[in-house]
Amino acid sequence: MIACLTIPAFSLRAALKDRPDLRRKPAALAAAPGEQPLVGPCTRAAEQAGIRPGMRLSEALATCPDLHLVEQDPAGVEAEWERILRRLEDAGLAVEPAEPGCAYFETRGIERLAGGVKAAVQRALDAVGAPWEPRVGVAERRFAALAAASVAPAGRALVVDDEETELFLAPLPLHLLPLGQERREELSELGVKRLGELARLPKSAVADRLGAEGADAWRLVQGEGDARVAPRKPSAEIGESLEFPEPVANEITLARALSALVDRLLAREERGGRAPRRLAVSAKLVGGGSWRRAVTLREATAEPERLRQALAPKLSELPAPAVELRLELGELTESVGTQAELVRPRGSRLRSRLREGLRQVRAAVGIDAVCTVVEVAPWSRIPETRAILVPRDD
Amino acid sequence: MVAHPRDQGDSRAARRLNEPRPARVEAPENVPTSVGGVVVSSVREEWRVFDRWWTSEPVRRRYFDVVLETGENLAVFYDLERRAWFRQKA
Repeated sequence: MIACLTIPAFSLRAALKDRPDLRRKPAALAAAPGEQPLVGPCTRAAEQAGIRPGMRLSEALATCPDLHLVEQDPAGVEAEWERILRRLEDAGLAVEPAEPGCAYFETRGIERLAGGVKAAVQRALDAVGAPWEPRVGVAERRFAALAAASVAPAGRALVVDDEETELFLAPLPLHLLPLGQERREELSELGVKRLGELARLPKSAVADRLGAEGADAWRLVQGEGDARVAPRKPSAEIGESLEFPEPVANEITLARALSALVDRLLAREERGGRAPRRLAVSAKLVGGGSWRRAVTLREATAEPERLRQALAPKLSELPAPAVELRLELGELTESVGTQAELVRPRGSRLRSRLREGLRQVRAAVGIDAVCTVVEVAPWSRIPETRAILVPRDD
Repeated sequence: MVAHPRDQGDSRAARRLNEPRPARVEAPENVPTSVGGVVVSSVREEWRVFDRWWTSEPVRRRYFDVVLETGENLAVFYDLERRAWFRQKA
């Protein structure tokens, strides 16, 4: 059977991980800079005060003046979700992450080991941990499993038998379907508010009115959805961070810091000559919150210049000064070979001798012995804020 | 069990360059006459830096570019916040 594990309002929970005092207060996730001012997921106290996710910010503050707005923390969300996925994998589950806070896995693989479906699912709930209030839905199809997880109580699992799937789905609301807001409103205006009401309509009529999106939704409520799980491959990632002594907003400085991080990561021993295909740059922002951008390369490369070129334009999207910059190289793959050079570039011998010299200095004095000077604010009137020393590994 | 690469402590802080160092300065009339026991032969320039007044750590310094009796050229400043003398490459 297919199990769907969900953690409601995961992005808010992850953002509040280090602020437990706010969990019991009315708090909601603020919109990202530049986005529509709509309230994101909110705490139970906020819900009790009348706040609903998707509400306009002005309306939310008028409804609940004590509402705490929590800054989005995409890097923190990603890190927490990765920790949870790894705990699930350590528990023997081959998981397919759908989005932060939602993952699928097949129970068949560990049913015998755990002693049944319920024990296998309990293993997943234990791996995630009670503070996250996870819930699991189990069914023969992915959509039914997701629907079951959406109504399961916190820390519990709900198993839906194949014969009962249609009956189970019928009274559930339409928002579980992967339909756009407009389509849902259209259906609501037509008097279709429950999955069962959509299931009773003829397929051709739904397809005629709502197009391919509607036809797909109709198939899901008929229990014809996908019954497969594609577990993720064990991730091979390496990361490096650079803390700034003070917040940095200058693009040139950020590009230099990024360059230093690229050099440090490429020099890491555990990379073992493999080239990354996925890159992610993230930053901790001044005053809390974080920012993250990921890039997937067309082909894996370990050429520092190409990595820099792929990431540098992203830095201009940073919404606030950064106090820490982090770079992650993922999907490390063995090199398939590139065109060799006929003539070695000028200076390559000198560079290799220099690299060897630096390696010996580091071996003798310590890994932080060799540093690069990175100009942070060369125009500053305070001399000690003009440049920083960044340890380098290459 | 082998630690996952992302779990490893890979964050190394950058360090500031040219941090001010405490200096022993004699300045009877608020102008340095000796630095570290060496007499100041001339004060080439004097300037003030008032910055970050909007933060909880304002910077209020009075810099002096001095030449010592030994011929050494250096910059010292009086930190009006900490009420102490420092030397620094300005």
